[in-house]
Amino acid sequence: MTEAPATTKQLHLATDAHVQYIQSLDTHKDELDYWLTEHLRLNGVYWGLTALHLLGHPDALPPDETLDFILSCQHESGGFGAAPGHDAHMLSTVSAVQILAMVDGFDELDRRGKGKAQVGKYIAQLQNRETGTFYGDEWGEEDTRFLYGALNALSLLGLTSLVDVERAVSYVASCANFDGGYGVRPGAESHSGQIFTCVAALAIAKRLDLVDQEKLGQWLSERQVPGGGLNGRPEKKEDVCYSWWVLSSLSIIGKIHWIDRDGLIQFILQSQDTEKGGIADRPGDMVDVWHTCFGAAGLSLLGYPSMEEVDPVYCMPKAVIKRVLG
Amino acid sequence: MTSHGHGIARATRPRTEEQRQADLDKIARYRTLEDDIRDRVSRQDYDQDTFSLTSKLLRQNPEYYTVWNIRRRCLTSGSSSKPWAMSSLSKGSSTFSATGTSHLASASSSPPSSTETPPSHNYPKTGMSGTTAETTEDRQMRDLEIIKSELVFTVPLLMEFPKCYWIWNYRLWTLGQAIVRLPTHVARKVWEEELGLVGKMLHRDRRNFHAWGYRRYVVDQLESAALAGQSMTESEFEYTTKMIRMDLSNFSAWHYRSQLIPRLLRERDADDQARQKFLDDELAFIRDGLNVGPEDQSLWFYHQFLASNIIDDACSQTIAPALSVDQRRSYIEREIDEIKDLLEDYTDVKWIYEALIQYTQSLSRLGQQAKPTELKDWLAQLKSLDPQRTGRWNDLEAQLYAA
Repeated sequence: MTEAPATTKQLHLATDAHVQYIQSLDTHKDELDYWLTEHLRLNGVYWGLTALHLLGHPDALPPDETLDFILSCQHESGGFGAAPGHDAHMLSTVSAVQILAMVDGFDELDRRGKGKAQVGKYIAQLQNRETGTFYGDEWGEEDTRFLYGALNALSLLGLTSLVDVERAVSYVASCANFDGGYGVRPGAESHSGQIFTCVAALAIAKRLDLVDQEKLGQWLSERQVPGGGLNGRPEKKEDVCYSWWVLSSLSIIGKIHWIDRDGLIQFILQSQDTEKGGIADRPGDMVDVWHTCFGAAGLSLLGYPSMEEVDPVYCMPKAVIKRVLG
Repeated sequence: MTSHGHGIARATRPRTEEQRQADLDKIARYRTLEDDIRDRVSRQDYDQDTFSLTSKLLRQNPEYYTVWNIRRRCLTSGSSSKPWAMSSLSKGSSTFSATGTSHLASASSSPPSSTETPPSHNYPKTGMSGTTAETTEDRQMRDLEIIKSELVFTVPLLMEFPKCYWIWNYRLWTLGQAIVRLPTHVARKVWEEELGLVGKMLHRDRRNFHAWGYRRYVVDQLESAALAGQSMTESEFEYTTKMIRMDLSNFSAWHYRSQLIPRLLRERDADDQARQKFLDDELAFIRDGLNVGPEDQSLWFYHQFLASNIIDDACSQTIAPALSVDQRRSYIEREIDEIKDLLEDYTDVKWIYEALIQYTQSLSRLGQQAKPTELKDWLAQLKSLDPQRTGRWNDLEAQLYAA
C-alpha cells in the first residue's frame, strides 16, 4: 500500500523502483494472478516497455528476449495472440507492432516472423468495408478501439494503403456526440478512453478538422476532479489511467493547459509505490503495470523532468515515432 | 485499453508459506486444466468433454478470450455430428452476418423466466447418433435449448464480472445464433428476455458503460426486420425518463435521451407546434433538475445540448428547426434569466457563471449585444471558483476581449 505523504510537495518520481518493478513482472510465476492474466501478456510487455522507455531505461528488458517472445505469439495469418497458444486478436497484434517498433524489430519480423506484409493483411481483413470500422477478430466485435489500433499499427508498418482510411474516418465522425466526445459505436456515450482512440485515429488520418475542439476540450477539462486526478466520464471516480486518455486527447487538440498540471502530477505521484515500484489507479491501491504505463505516460506528457517525451497519438516514445515515421 | 478494472496482475500482498503453497496448488490445477484444453484443441477435438472443460475454465477466468473461442468452435465446427456444425446452417455461413450490416451477431439473453437451475452440462445431447432424419423442428428445439443454456451459463459470470468485454461478446454471439437458427417469433422472445436482463444490470449499476451500450444493441435488434420488430423509441425514451428520475446525475441516461429525441420527433411526425412544446417540456424538465442540483455537470451538459438546439439553426437534427431568430433569442434570454435566478440560492457554483457567459456569447451571435461589465464579473467569479481550469478561463477571456 502506498501511504499518502504528509508533504506532497516533496514527492518525486521513484524511477529506479519502477524500473525494478517492471523487470520483476515476469518472476511472479508462483502467483495465481500471473497465470490468470496470460491473455494480457503481450499487452503487458507493451505497457512495461513503454514505461521503461519513458523512464529513460529502454534496455531494462533484454531486447532479444522481447523480440523472441513477440515472434513466438504470431500466427500463420500474420496476427498475434496474447501469448503462445492464444488466438490472434487486433489488440495483441497492435501491441506486437508497437513493441517491434520500439525494439527496432521490423527487419527481424520479415526475417524470422511472417513478415510485415502478412501483419498488414491480417489487420486489413478485419475492416468492415461497408462501415469502415474494424473487428477485434474473426468473431466480429466492433469497437473504435480496434479502428484506432488498426490505423496505429498500419501507419507504423507503412501499410495504411491496405485499408479504406476515408471510410474509417467517416465512421469515427459518426461516433461524435453532442458533448464533443466519442463512443464505442455510433450512438454510444462519450468515454475518455474512446475519445482518445477516435481523436488519435483522426490525427493519424490527418483529419482533426472534424473534431469539435472547443466542445471536446470543455468536456475533457471537466474530467479533472478537486483532488487533481482525472475521471473517464462525468460523476465517476478519478483514475491514473485517465491521466493518459484525457490528457493525450487534450494534447492532440492543443488544450493541455486547460487542466491543472501540478494537481495532476501530484495525484499520479501519490499513486506510486515509492518503495517497491509501480503505480496504482489511485493513492492507496495496489499497483499494476497498466497504471504504471499510463501514469508514466501522463507525467511525460506533462513535461515531468528528465523523462523521455511521449507521443500523444501513439503512446510511444517520440524518438521511436520519429525514427519509424521519419 | 482492454482491461480496465480487472485482469491485471497486481503487486503481491505478503503471503505466509502456507498461503504460498495453497497458491501453488491452485496454479497446478489451473494449468492442468488449461493444458488439457490445449491438447484437445491441438487434436481438433472439439467434443463434449472439451466443451465441459471450457465451462470449468471460464468460471475461473472469464477473461480468457481464446477459451471462449474454443467454446464457440465446440458448438459450430467440425463434422455434422456437432450441434452447430456449419453444414446445418440454413442461412448465413458464418457467425457474422446474422444481422445484416452489424456484424456483432447477437445479443440478448436473460435466463429463461423460470428459476430452475440450469443443467450442469450445457452441451446438448446430440443424440440420435448419426440420425439424418432429424426434422427442422427437432433441430430448432435443440438449438433453442443450446442457446438458452449458453445464456444461463454466462449470467452468473456477468454478475461477478460486469465489466468483462468477453462475456458480453459471447452473449451477443449466442443471441445472434438465435436469429440465424430459430423461427423469428422464438428468436424474438429470446431477445426480449435479454432486454429484461439488461434492465436488471442497469438497476445494479446505473452507469455501467457496457450495459448501456449493450442495451442500445439489443434494442436495435428488437427493432430490426430480422426479429419482425418495430420502433421502440417511445418506450426507450420513457426508460430514460425513469432512470433520470431515479438519479439526476445519470449522464448515461441523459446521453441516451439526446440520441433518441430526433428519432422520437420524426416518428411522432411532430409539427412545428408539437416540436416547440417538446422543447418547452425538456427545458422545464432540466430546469427542475438544476434547481436542486446546480453542481451536477450531467445536467449542465444536457442543458447545453438543448441550448445548442435552440441556437444552431443549421443543424437538421434540431428539435424545433422552424423557430425564428427572434424566438431563438427570447428562448436564450429566458434561460439566462432562469440561470440568474439560481444565483439567489447558489453563489459559489461555477457552472452557473460558465453557462451565463456561454449563453450570453450565443446571444450576441443572435444579434443581441452583451453587457461587458456582466461578462467581466462572471469571468472573475469563474476564475476564483475554479482555479484548476485557469488556462481555459484565460483563453475564454482572450476570446471575449477579441470579440
